[in-house]
Amino acid sequence: MNGNFIWLTIGQIFDPTVAAYALATIGLVIHFGFTGLLNFGQAGFMAVGGYAFAITSVIYDWPLWASFLAAILAATVFALILGIPTLRLRADYLSIVTIAAAEIIRLSVKTPEFSDVTGGSEGINGAARAFNDVNPLPEGRWGLMGTPLVYNQDQWWVRIVGWGLVALACLLVFLLMRSPWGRVIMGIREDEDAVRSLGKNVFSYKIQALILGGVLGGLAGVVFILPRSLQPDNYGTQLTFFLYTIMLLGGAATVFGPVVGSILFWVTLSLTDGLLSLGIEAGVLPLTTTQTGPIRFIIVGVALMLLVIFRPQGIFGKKKDLHFA
Amino acid sequence: MPEKTLVSDITDDVIVPGVKKKDPIVVAHAVSRRFGGLTAVDVAHLEIPRGSITALIGPNGAGKTTFFNLLTGFDKPNTGNWTFKGKSLAGVPAFKVSRMGMVRTFQLTKALSGMTVLENMRLGATKQGGENIFISLFKPLWKAKEDEITERAMQLLAKFKLDTKKDDYASSLSGGQKKLLEMARALMSSPELVMLDEPMAGVNPALTQSLLGHIVNLKDEGMTVLFVEHDMHMVNTIADWVVVMAEGKVVAEGPPSTVMSDPAVIDAYLGAHHASDLGTIEGQLEVAEEMESDLIRSEVEQDAEAAGIAVPTHEPAHSTDAASTPVDGEEKK
Amino acid sequence: MLAGIRPGQSARLIAMLIASVVLCLSVVLGGSALGASAAETTASTSTATEQSILVWVRTDADKVGVPNVSISVDGDGGAETGVTGADGKAVIPVSEPGTYTVTIDEDALPAETGYPRPSTNPAKVEVFEGNTEVPAIFFLSPDNAKGAVAAPSDESTSTPTPGATGDAGAGTTTAPVTVDTFWLRFWPQLVTGLIFGLLIALAAIGASLIYGTTGLNNFAHGELVTFGALMAYLFSGVMGLPAVIAIPAAMILGGLFGWAQDAGIWRPLRKRGLGLIPMMIVTIGLSLALRYVFVLLFGPDRLTLPNSTKPFLVIGSVSLKFTDVAGAVIAIVVILGVALVLTKTKIGKAMRAVSDNRALASASGINVERVIRVVWVGSGALAALAGVYVGYYQSLRWDTGASILLLIFAAITLGGLGSAYGALVGAVIIGLIMNLSTLWIPENLKFVAPLVLMIIILLVRPQGILGRKERVG
Ligand SMILES: Nc1ncnc2c1ncn2[C@@H]1O[C@H](COP(=O)(O)OP(=O)(O)O)[C@@H](O)[C@H]1O
Ligand SMILES: [Mg+2]
Repeated sequence: MNGNFIWLTIGQIFDPTVAAYALATIGLVIHFGFTGLLNFGQAGFMAVGGYAFAITSVIYDWPLWASFLAAILAATVFALILGIPTLRLRADYLSIVTIAAAEIIRLSVKTPEFSDVTGGSEGINGAARAFNDVNPLPEGRWGLMGTPLVYNQDQWWVRIVGWGLVALACLLVFLLMRSPWGRVIMGIREDEDAVRSLGKNVFSYKIQALILGGVLGGLAGVVFILPRSLQPDNYGTQLTFFLYTIMLLGGAATVFGPVVGSILFWVTLSLTDGLLSLGIEAGVLPLTTTQTGPIRFIIVGVALMLLVIFRPQGIFGKKKDLHFA
Repeated sequence: MPEKTLVSDITDDVIVPGVKKKDPIVVAHAVSRRFGGLTAVDVAHLEIPRGSITALIGPNGAGKTTFFNLLTGFDKPNTGNWTFKGKSLAGVPAFKVSRMGMVRTFQLTKALSGMTVLENMRLGATKQGGENIFISLFKPLWKAKEDEITERAMQLLAKFKLDTKKDDYASSLSGGQKKLLEMARALMSSPELVMLDEPMAGVNPALTQSLLGHIVNLKDEGMTVLFVEHDMHMVNTIADWVVVMAEGKVVAEGPPSTVMSDPAVIDAYLGAHHASDLGTIEGQLEVAEEMESDLIRSEVEQDAEAAGIAVPTHEPAHSTDAASTPVDGEEKK
Repeated sequence: MLAGIRPGQSARLIAMLIASVVLCLSVVLGGSALGASAAETTASTSTATEQSILVWVRTDADKVGVPNVSISVDGDGGAETGVTGADGKAVIPVSEPGTYTVTIDEDALPAETGYPRPSTNPAKVEVFEGNTEVPAIFFLSPDNAKGAVAAPSDESTSTPTPGATGDAGAGTTTAPVTVDTFWLRFWPQLVTGLIFGLLIALAAIGASLIYGTTGLNNFAHGELVTFGALMAYLFSGVMGLPAVIAIPAAMILGGLFGWAQDAGIWRPLRKRGLGLIPMMIVTIGLSLALRYVFVLLFGPDRLTLPNSTKPFLVIGSVSLKFTDVAGAVIAIVVILGVALVLTKTKIGKAMRAVSDNRALASASGINVERVIRVVWVGSGALAALAGVYVGYYQSLRWDTGASILLLIFAAITLGGLGSAYGALVGAVIIGLIMNLSTLWIPENLKFVAPLVLMIIILLVRPQGILGRKERVG
């Protein structure tokens, strides 16, 4: 072990997984931060998007654009199925229904009965093929030579597209939230009856917000599986909880909060990992190397608690940016 | 004080609860709403006269707020039908009711505290295309309308003396200012019927006079006003017509001058207060004072004398103080 | 709304939080010089390696990893070898993308774990540029022959595959549903379902009392369950105490744990005026942290409580172990006890009064905070008992409670949020639906059935089966 983990930590800043988490969190920010929808099933949206993409591209050999479209459509349909019945109910019902729906998705895709299509508990591998086929970058490896931050053309490609999507999503949220549409959305977060009394179709706005955030979650699901294989157990409730942590790190009702939060989240994980390993090697810490994993998650859990209690507006947020309580 | 609409302009019939109006804007028929065993609203027939100010009064728990909720689509009745401008509203969702020109405020203020005063106002505007998600992305498409809306919002805010607070968060306003903001916001859509649920509750006495003026202005601008109020002085001053509810029913209606001495009204108020802990002489006198009714007062005093109880001295000054206004806080959590 | 944060206050709160985490830890540590052995982690972030294959050798029955299996990988990027770690996983880096064959050495497999499913060894794996941890998973079962090749039949569901969260209760074999066997399978599932329902009820009653008195959706309720299970394991599995001592001890510690949580976290947060939604997110954080504290202390593997698999009671096609019967009896007695407490005692009536209308209860002189404290202690003890129960029935692991959390929620939602009797009814329905559904749908979808049912109930009757309608408008 050496100082290599510092580089790994820096590498998180462009990592496609970090981009995927940021993108999913942007969706969550639309749901929770701006509209006040308590969606505890963002992992389900990611799963739906990821599976739609992987199944259409790997199993049915659809062209890339069609697979992307499939991911978007699947997330939209999922949002409609969840939203139409529940958005009229009390806020905490949505949380229970979404978390249950996400679990239903995960358990269903895992079951061997559907494994012809979903790959069962082993998931689907190779979803990136069609994506890498359209890679315009010339073959080769670039980056900071002499450091581990050197990537080949496909690795660059997924990083560019992943972060490009994040940038687009940020722009979208920025444009929407400064507009009259965003005003209605934020009004709903504050008090939906008041907004209703002013003649706005609250239900329709909530559905729109749910779909929009859900589609971003679905696209995040696609970005998430491009550098790895699709595995059902990645989409447990824990994933949603990580996204909540990221959202609260960056600030729940902000445009760039999810980006900052995601990078911060992963950098912290990476650093603690590295530091713990160093400590263990130096014999300072009475742990085994395999115990560093749980410690990271304990840190995440405790961080989530402390954030909500002491800095609900996010690490960098101002008190007046606090829109939930 | 303002011109009152003449009774003869409102109705020609004998004045009984449910009397027909010459030009009703709202007609409700057989509207009832039950919560479990409790019948909160059971209105046989009621017409609200167009272009005038109607006060809806009644003791706490009489069903006034529930009736508001039913009329505006925020709650669904068990039975009944009602029309607004001749169009049936049964089953019409709240937002459509509002778009048709019937806008309400809430007893417990619903200022959107995480937004600025100006944003609150803008939200009240209608026909802003930018509220469509696709149009909203392109600022040039909604910028002009937004400027128009902002101008109107500023005019209204100035009227309500809130213009200096336009960039403050609504959460920083006082209770009374929030009431004003809510009313101003409701006016952004230029409604035909404004329904105010206890607009004076919690408003600083210094502001009440101007609030009265605002409400009268609404009428002058051609709007119809229906408001719930406990302050009898206010009702007497500005209402053209008074509807009294008790235990869900309309027990009396008529011009303020006569309705206050209607025995049914006295019963309703005394009955309601008897039922609660206010069954004391002081409590009843308070009611009398609240209603500015000498009839009740003398009745209570006679009772007391008969029972050999000393009657507390009467302070004639009525109070527009917020603290004395009964507030039913059980509405929502 | 969040109340303003005074610096002194926040320092105290931090101290309390830390103290309570430490307290929880020390309660757990109480005697655990035990094998917190080679704890392997669930996730690894090897985002910088180029490509790799994740080989995972697991037993078919309970999905436990099989360590020390030799692996050889051969393909476009050359040959590699490896050995699975404590969790049955091995990550084999490969230098080039391409197709690889992954073979596990069947000769070195311990006999009791058995052999891979037919035709799965060697496995073919395609690795694309930049793919890491491409899975190659081998399931071992004593039912399989060494080097077996699949029989030429497409009936592939011959072995029941319980979900990752484990199977509940008396084992039933999956056979094709025919008229003859239907009832043979129905009765065991009915009984298992009832027993499982009682188990869920123990946890759900507590969760619903907490919801009723405080309005809190406690996402860390599963960890109260896990805690009880782990304590029972500590006392009976590690220290070898008899169950009659181990179980009450686990319950007492569970009650203490509930007390500590309320005293250390929830009460200070209530006093601060933290809103319910932020508070709910705090429970999520706590749940995550506790889960991994459990991993750290007890390891990631499945643990077992001393238990006899001998049939104890056989009626027709229903065969129950001693623990099934004893557990059911204890659960019924405890639930009756809770009902008595709720209806007959002063504190129980106070609990219901607080659930009904907190402000009114407080105004009529009930010490609401004390009632809530008692609710937390009781919920902790009940959840611990549920945990003990799960420990005997299905997998006992760091995430045991987390895996039934949604079922607990489903039960209290079904019954009507905040109603203790509703929670009981909801739990029994959940248990029955879950187990009876396996008569028609695949075994491993049985967690899905109650969740779907919950969603449907919410749609047609949002107040739950026994709940009252919410006041709206
Ligand atoms: N959602 C509800 N659920 C149960 N009871 C209600 C509900 N809303 C109002 N009530 C009851 O209906 C009666 C009328 O209430 P309300 O309309 O608020 O009276 P008012 O506005 O005249 O004071 C009261 O007894 C109240 O407790
Ligand atoms: Mg009212």
